Amino acid sequence: MSEFDAIVVGAGPAGTSAASKMASSGMNVLLVERGDPPGSKNVSGGILWGKDLSKLYPDWEKTAPLERFITNKVTGFLTEDSSISIDFKTKRFERQRTGYSVLRTKLDGWLAKKAKDSGATVITGITVDGLARDGNKVIGVRQENDVITSDLVVLAEGANPRIAIDEGLRQPINDHDVAIGIKQVFKFSEQTINERFNLRNGAGFAGEYSLGFLNNGVKAGGFLYTNKDTISLGVVIDIFDLRKDNSTYSFDIMEKFASHPYIAPYIEGGQLQEYSAHLVCEGGIDYVPKLYGNGYLIAGDSAGFSFSNGMMIQGMNYAIASGIAAGETAISAKESNDYSESMLSSYEKKLSSSEVLMDMRNFRGIQNVTWSPLVHEFIPKFTEGILYNMFNETGEPKKHLFEIALENFAGSKYDRKSLVLDLYRMMRRM
Amino acid sequence: MVLEIVVMVKQVPDSQEVVIDPVTMNLNRSMTRNVTNRADENALEAALQIKDKTPANITVVSMGPPQAESTMIECLARGADRAILVSDRALGGADTYPTGLTVASAISKLDHFDIIFAGEESSDSSTGHVGPGVAEFLGIDQITYCSKIQYEDGYVTAERELEDGTEVVKCPTPVLVTVLLNSNYPRRQTLRRKIDAVRKGMEVWNIEKLELKPEWVGVRGSPTIVRRMQSIKEKQREGKKVTLEQIPDLVKELYEKKIIREVH
Repeated sequence: MSEFDAIVVGAGPAGTSAASKMASSGMNVLLVERGDPPGSKNVSGGILWGKDLSKLYPDWEKTAPLERFITNKVTGFLTEDSSISIDFKTKRFERQRTGYSVLRTKLDGWLAKKAKDSGATVITGITVDGLARDGNKVIGVRQENDVITSDLVVLAEGANPRIAIDEGLRQPINDHDVAIGIKQVFKFSEQTINERFNLRNGAGFAGEYSLGFLNNGVKAGGFLYTNKDTISLGVVIDIFDLRKDNSTYSFDIMEKFASHPYIAPYIEGGQLQEYSAHLVCEGGIDYVPKLYGNGYLIAGDSAGFSFSNGMMIQGMNYAIASGIAAGETAISAKESNDYSESMLSSYEKKLSSSEVLMDMRNFRGIQNVTWSPLVHEFIPKFTEGILYNMFNETGEPKKHLFEIALENFAGSKYDRKSLVLDLYRMMRRM
Repeated sequence: MVLEIVVMVKQVPDSQEVVIDPVTMNLNRSMTRNVTNRADENALEAALQIKDKTPANITVVSMGPPQAESTMIECLARGADRAILVSDRALGGADTYPTGLTVASAISKLDHFDIIFAGEESSDSSTGHVGPGVAEFLGIDQITYCSKIQYEDGYVTAERELEDGTEVVKCPTPVLVTVLLNSNYPRRQTLRRKIDAVRKGMEVWNIEKLELKPEWVGVRGSPTIVRRMQSIKEKQREGKKVTLEQIPDLVKELYEKKIIREVH
């Protein structure tokens, strides 16, 4: 007889959702988190897209610690001197509220409390050492030479899934599968943010940029999200590039982004409150491991469930959705008292028919586009050149757009054939 | 017989995150997370090391607001047997005098105690008053600023760090020992003990239980009032060493320089 029906490792969005789902159906659940309080080890850019939490907490939009609902979405390119972006604002988002900015220390604390209120035993400040096994079956977790037994273990460890890797349940992380994220949080008054971003009544701004001003082929993206009275500013950098180029440092990229002529004014006068860094899953569907086995399930970032197609960056909603699916699977397993691999395989079936795996399968290989030199070097500089020539009045006779484009293309390092190929790939995959 | 050990602990703002408000010059605690005072972790570890060799019961006692529960649970998860938090609105704003009185009153409500451990000082106010204060209120001996603490047959032996050497003190129980920061390596919390701790929870005592009157404790019972805070530079003072025989001469010299005077 196991001590718990299920042990969940990690109290982020995936782990808390799984724990809450199971506990509210009467299962005896232990949720273990190394951070104290929950969320203190977690970093995310900070937009929670989608309504997945409605399935667990119908009133979450009123009760969860949400910062602002996003009405203004900006996607753009930054070069040394310029900023080129699509600035989309819509009243539709105000009515639908499809994305909220969140701060993880607050949100994860709330999620953990909800899991506790659902009946889960929540333990913080403890790092689990590994899994306990009986043959090929997972029978609990190990910590300090002791075993806590359970019928099921849900691994929701986050982007650095140490246990899953150590236990051979997933491939180790390689440089192409993850990026490094750095984030700063600056404090302002709510009014200052409203004025700087033209926002009213709790509406928010979410900006994502390709950083076209970096050298030596290092690729990085930047983000700027407004919270109630803080701004989250950060960069996500390709680790492979960083390792290749010894002269570029991650924190310098953060500083360069923060001091960019069209970013710096947004954060001017803000008081730095947080500086954090974290791994970001970027490996796509090929980085997703086998999601289940005898006595275990893997959810959230541990399973590589994060998505970015250059237009949308998502992770927390997949974490919540996969946590709920893991919880539902566990409930069926408990009913039939069968935690075998074949029983738990319904977890993957659930995810396959949901947004989580459908998006990831649909956009297989998207990371080759979002992390391509095309997006990070060519497009920013090429567009900047065209726009500059088009809008600049020099007193000389004006040229046709096509002529300007050809001239700018000649100045870039690209050859025509690979441009056409890369553009085709981008159109197909995005 | 089972040794009864008490460990005094305090929850403090994480000193790595503390910010001083430039206007009020007070510690801005709103932004910081709360942790167990690190020297108190060393005090608990000192108690646990005795328990490793001698059958003992360890009771952790703290005074603080209800959120100090996380510190109490943490102490249980490291190996303490019982946790008592003295929490009462009347205790707010206490300086070190009523704090010592309150903690001493709580300890005197226990059936029995042999050794009391405390951290050398708290990281948020750094007075080092409360441990020695508790010993005085309870009328027992104390050994301060200790490391390498051992217990054998009714005696505690400990090393005291002094400015120019180490003093080894042996003292019969009951005794209060204050423990140096970083004098040992606090053991990890275990998952099993933490599960038990969360289920069992802590005991919360109020001032009625301690038979204390509101005017004796908290801000009302505090003789000190903070008028302002400022940073001051430490002055280098002249030092002088004397032997036992030279003490009368020293006293005479200090008297002549009017540094000390006769009190009738």
